[in-house]
Amino acid sequence: MVKEEQELANRPDNTAFTQQRLPAWQPMLSAGIVIPGFVLIGLAFIGIGVALFVTSRSIQVLEFDYTGVDQNSPCFKCSDPKVLNCVCNLNFSIDSLFKGTVFFYYGLSNYYQNFRKYGVSKDDVQLSGDLTNFKTPSDTCSPYAYDSNNQPIVPCGSIANSMFNDAFKLYQIINGTNTLVPFDGKGIAWWTDYNIKYRNPSITPLKNAFNNTVKPIFWSKPAYELDTSDPANNGFINQNFLVWMRRAALPNFRKLYGRINEGDYAQGLPAGNYSLEIAYNYPVLSFDGRKKVVFSNVSWMGGKNEFLGIAYLVIGSMCVFMSIVMLIVYAKFKFPEEDGVPGH
Amino acid sequence: MTWRSPLALVRDALRGQRAREKDLRNLASNLPYEGLERAKQPNCYFPGNAIKTTKYTLLLFIPMNLFEQFHRLANIYFVGLAILNFVPVVSAFQPEVALIPICVVLSLTALKDASEDFRRYQSDRKLNNTPCLIYSRKEQQFIKRHWKDVRVGDFVKVVCNEIVPADLLLLHTSDPSGVCHIETSNLDGEINLKQRKMMSGDPEFEPESFNSAVVCEKPNNNLNHFKCYVEKPNKEKVGAGIESLLLRGCTVRNTDHAVGFVVYAGHETKAMLNNKGPRYKRSKLERKLNTDVIFCVILLFTMCLIGALGHFLWLQALPGVPPYLVPDGNGHLDSPSLSGFYMFFTMIILLQILIPISLYVSIELVKIGQIFFITNDIDLHDEGTDSRVQCKALNITEDLGQIEYIFSDKTGTLTENKMVFRRCSIMGTEYAHKENAVVIPDRTLLQQISRAESSSSSRNIDPHLDFFLGLAICNTVVVSVATAQRQRVSAPFTATKNRTISEDSVEEEDHVKPPVKIEGSGETNKLHTCSLHAPSQCDKSAMTPDNLSYEAESPDEAALVYAAKAYGFTLLARTPDSVTVRLPSGEDLVFQVLDTLTFDYNRKRMSVLVRHPITKEYVLYTKGADHAIMELLATPYAGIGKQKNIAADTQYHLDGYAKEGLRTLCFTKKVVSDKAYESWSVNRQRALAAIDNREELVMDTAVQLETDLSLLGATGIEDRLQESVPETIMALREAGIQVWVLTGDKTETAVNIGYACRLLEEEDLVINMTESSGGFTCELSPSNLNEVRRFSEDPRNVDTTQNISLVIDGHTLTLALSSDLQKRFVDLAKRCRTVLCCRVTPLQKSRVVTVVREKLNVMTLAVGDGANDVSMIQAADVGIGISGQEGMQAVMASDFAISRFKHLKKLLLVHGHWCYTRLASMIIYFFYKNVAYVNLLFWHQFLCGFSGTAMIDYWLMIFFNLFFTSVPPIMFGIMDKDVSAEMLLGVPELYRTGQGTGEYTFKTFWISMLDAFYQSLVCFFIPYLAYQDSDIDVFTFGTPLNTISFFTILLHLSIEIKAWTVVHWVIMLGSVALYFIVTLAYSAICVTCNPPSNPYWILQRQMADPMFYLLCIITTVVALLPRYMFHVLRNSIAPSPLVKARHLDRLDPSTRDQCMKMWRSFRGIAQVKPSRLSTPPSPTLETPVDIHPHSPTTFDIMWDERHH
Repeated sequence: MVKEEQELANRPDNTAFTQQRLPAWQPMLSAGIVIPGFVLIGLAFIGIGVALFVTSRSIQVLEFDYTGVDQNSPCFKCSDPKVLNCVCNLNFSIDSLFKGTVFFYYGLSNYYQNFRKYGVSKDDVQLSGDLTNFKTPSDTCSPYAYDSNNQPIVPCGSIANSMFNDAFKLYQIINGTNTLVPFDGKGIAWWTDYNIKYRNPSITPLKNAFNNTVKPIFWSKPAYELDTSDPANNGFINQNFLVWMRRAALPNFRKLYGRINEGDYAQGLPAGNYSLEIAYNYPVLSFDGRKKVVFSNVSWMGGKNEFLGIAYLVIGSMCVFMSIVMLIVYAKFKFPEEDGVPGH
Repeated sequence: MTWRSPLALVRDALRGQRAREKDLRNLASNLPYEGLERAKQPNCYFPGNAIKTTKYTLLLFIPMNLFEQFHRLANIYFVGLAILNFVPVVSAFQPEVALIPICVVLSLTALKDASEDFRRYQSDRKLNNTPCLIYSRKEQQFIKRHWKDVRVGDFVKVVCNEIVPADLLLLHTSDPSGVCHIETSNLDGEINLKQRKMMSGDPEFEPESFNSAVVCEKPNNNLNHFKCYVEKPNKEKVGAGIESLLLRGCTVRNTDHAVGFVVYAGHETKAMLNNKGPRYKRSKLERKLNTDVIFCVILLFTMCLIGALGHFLWLQALPGVPPYLVPDGNGHLDSPSLSGFYMFFTMIILLQILIPISLYVSIELVKIGQIFFITNDIDLHDEGTDSRVQCKALNITEDLGQIEYIFSDKTGTLTENKMVFRRCSIMGTEYAHKENAVVIPDRTLLQQISRAESSSSSRNIDPHLDFFLGLAICNTVVVSVATAQRQRVSAPFTATKNRTISEDSVEEEDHVKPPVKIEGSGETNKLHTCSLHAPSQCDKSAMTPDNLSYEAESPDEAALVYAAKAYGFTLLARTPDSVTVRLPSGEDLVFQVLDTLTFDYNRKRMSVLVRHPITKEYVLYTKGADHAIMELLATPYAGIGKQKNIAADTQYHLDGYAKEGLRTLCFTKKVVSDKAYESWSVNRQRALAAIDNREELVMDTAVQLETDLSLLGATGIEDRLQESVPETIMALREAGIQVWVLTGDKTETAVNIGYACRLLEEEDLVINMTESSGGFTCELSPSNLNEVRRFSEDPRNVDTTQNISLVIDGHTLTLALSSDLQKRFVDLAKRCRTVLCCRVTPLQKSRVVTVVREKLNVMTLAVGDGANDVSMIQAADVGIGISGQEGMQAVMASDFAISRFKHLKKLLLVHGHWCYTRLASMIIYFFYKNVAYVNLLFWHQFLCGFSGTAMIDYWLMIFFNLFFTSVPPIMFGIMDKDVSAEMLLGVPELYRTGQGTGEYTFKTFWISMLDAFYQSLVCFFIPYLAYQDSDIDVFTFGTPLNTISFFTILLHLSIEIKAWTVVHWVIMLGSVALYFIVTLAYSAICVTCNPPSNPYWILQRQMADPMFYLLCIITTVVALLPRYMFHVLRNSIAPSPLVKARHLDRLDPSTRDQCMKMWRSFRGIAQVKPSRLSTPPSPTLETPVDIHPHSPTTFDIMWDERHH
């Protein structure tokens, strides 16, 4: 026998692999087999759906459009782009406690931060504090790399240039006096952006690093004056700046402006009258955009979104329904091994 | 190297070119010029013997390989896109990064090419450095050099068992009779010894004294033809042909040494000119695939157009200039129409992977894998010859799964081609022999012979003796001494040497390796063979008939020689000039051979002209097919008045033989007068020396001599059916394949074999369209005609299935294939269950294949084993060669080579089916995968002003296609197994799923495209709705999309995978692991590496968020639910045969076999009407004998034939 094997040098190996006889699991997709799976998935989805829906329902949201398109709107006077340094007040009242921590967002509609050329228009190296790119910004920033006097613009590029510059102050009106509700502007940007990606040049004072550069054309003050009160929130690591630089994926978006988590308001906004003082600077009517402010609290699933809960509920019910359909199919059409007759 | 003027170099190059292109070459010996520089040598223009089969050189590899690869349109397309990306106004990605996919694809292919080329380089080097002996004038002897040193005009000495280094004109051999035995197995696989004659008769040959000029034709690749003459200084011309040429690659056997003059060297040798390498055919699936690629291109352009138009409209609708529109360097914006125009190109770049870039590479990889499994199948390995199935065409594996027509040769394909002498008829008397592998002489015939021998005078030889002399002489069988491994057709003398031993002892040597792979004792055996080279040199004691072995080019000849030997007429030796035959009386007769008129397909006969040693008469022995002989018989004359009766009797016997399925041959004798011989001989010499039209002239002289023959008798040789042929044919037929047999044999023989291998069934209606012996009218046998007529009048039988078989012969076929009748013939033939074509020439075989293939537009397969099948094999979509008894020419021309006909069953039914379903599913999946993924980007365009933004990091997109989702489909294409091999073999009907358009149709393509669109919609818009109005940023949005898409695409594949083995699990789970590891690592490393995208820490953050998982789960489920439900419902409500087979597969073997039987019988009854007209019904269907269908075309064509 051994000798024979040697003689047949060309004989293929008789292994399960080469002979394609590896043991295999052969799942059969047929009605009878998938019914239990469908029921289980359906029930699980309904469970998740209910949990999501309930959670989403518990989230409170308060939204105000302040673009000023409507003549009755408090900010109508500011909507004319010719009016400069316009301030308007938005008054509203809360009936019951707005549970905290309350997040305060500004929102823009019809604003395409995901536009391709817009997205390219920044210089990551410059924003990481590299001084050589202060003098010669990257080509990607063009035409916002140099001003008309050929001075380098820092921070360069269209994203930085178009930074949202409305400012908000919230007052609670208690007995006719305005009490400032403080916004906490720290920790609203990504930790990695604040600590790793964006760096100020290691020159003190910061202002010196910006010698021979100019501020972006649309900006009213240079980058090193974004927050003069706090050096940890100034320059490129200004949190509002970081939030803006992280481009929104969709044309209707909101961005975090601050959180209300200090003092009396740590537990939320108590019922009462409030006034939001808006420094109206950012023009949006030129592209038919809208501006809004949003108060919202968050849960483990983030902001309010009823869609996902509903989706889970619908799909879960569908699975259950389909398992019933399958049961009927199963009863009507059986398989060979189930009744022993091939075909039918 | 001395300096030479460039002008002289150009002049030399031109002169060399002219010398090589000339129709006749003048070669001279190199020896007088030895030591001179190369330019002064007479033969310097002809290439040396060093060969180079590599495609590339080390320095030029990159440009040459790139040039080669850019012949592929797809590659140009992708490079064009990558270049387009460098144009700033349209670029969608970082231009450098966009080059990566195409570079990876190109370099993968280049790597594959380079490794193949390196292997060729190594084998070239080994060959070039093989030692050989070249004569040197300085040393006055043959000295040891290498093959690469051999040049045209050299004298080379080859010793026994050495391989010939170049094409040599044989000038001298150690054999006194002037022959050199060679074995051409390296060239054509034939392992019988062949004789080559030396040119000059001078036994004392000295290279230095060779002063003639050798004039030969331009090199060509014909292994069987060579024309040349040697012109001596005195202007005397001596012609020489292939019989004096030792071809490069042959092995010298049984001859001590031989010396030859190099006429062709290196790449000009016939062996190299024949070496074409692997063949590239395009499979049907691939042709279809290309149309789908074009659909993809159209789809891509539509999508890009939508993008461009959308961008234009979006820009137009803007009331002012928003801050997010970036002007160009001069601060002004392009007009909306111009931007839209640019956007079109940006979109092309963005959506380019809609055309699957890696599809072609993947298909190639899949086919390598499929071929690996086919060649490794132990069931397709033949123990007798120790040979596996060989895949010569690398890219038509899936065509094996779509065959609709098989054209088979008979001899050697359906039969063993091991001939056994069964019957003979001598002078009108019939002698039968028992069925036995060894010829047992018939007693009456033996007595007849001994009586004849004692009575016959020297003047008048008894025809019985003449018959056996003819058997022994009229052939080209070479005698060698039997040894263990040189033996081919074993001598059936002793009881031990029966059929099985002869099978085992056939050692087929691999035609690539040098033939030294015999175990230890083999070497001594060979030496032994050598020392006993020529029979005339051996001492007489070695000449006992028992250790003789006959080396025949066709097994018929050997069978006849053995038969003659059984009756005491032993062929002892054959040299070009003489034949030695030992008579029953023990007397050795040496016949002088004056000429041999070799066999050709036009004459269908061969003759040997000898001079009888006793009577001194010139005798011409002729053997051939009966119809080729009968018309040449002499008119009856007074001397042998019985001649006509003999002819009639013999014909009667012949017909009887043919009905039994025996191969028939007629033997005749003719005594040529001295005068006639002399005049003919002059013509013959002239014809042989001619350079132009030599073949025709030689044939004409043969025809001149072969007239007025007198019939001696006829023989019937049995050719046994190969094992499992009927089963194989039944299975193939059940699989919906029509089997045609094309043979050169007589009609009766073919019909008989047809019944034996169940091509024809007893109850079939056989339409016989053969010429009757007299004229050219085609007749339908009256009984059949009546049946058809009766049947046609019966209105009940309109819908019944038909079992018509057609038998047609070469003559009628010529008429049927003429352009006016072609259509009707094909129409009739396609309604027939079987068509048998008899007495067809090789050309007709290929014509039939071509006509059926083109008129019916079906997939054809031709299988054959001999040189006469080559044209048919090449004409069919798939050509299969059977490496059998008749050499390797069929194998060389084939796409696949098998060793037994029965292997066809598993090759087609199992491997064909698997390869086809695997590849078809993989290709559909590939298209789906790319569309499903790219559409994510497309939907996003509606939300970003059609600006060409990608929300997925470009590197991750590249990884996605190159690493994360590329291996699973390849594995799927190589390893998926929808139904087990046992099931496919047990229920051949399953094969039908691949026939015709098969599974990969227009419909399946578009269904999967629609599914891709649906899935991408779900994968995009569920996350969109979930993240609507939130503060999500671009790439944080893209990451879950990428992940969801990844899971959807992989799970889609797992719905399609039918059998999960360990390999499947490892690769699928490995891909998931790879995705997360690579993406996490990339997100952790890349801080600002790939602007504008910003993958830094995104996946990490997402994976910390429960929403991410919830989103992934629901989206994947919704995306796959329809397909899953579709599969489930279809499998439950209307299961396809494949699904049912899969169900049976899950049962335990015994129950399964029972079910399989039930199924087959069940289907057989149920299938009254076949789904397609051309598919024959399952043979289990027993139709009553009297039910025969009417087909109008049957009549039409017959009517026409009858009135021709």
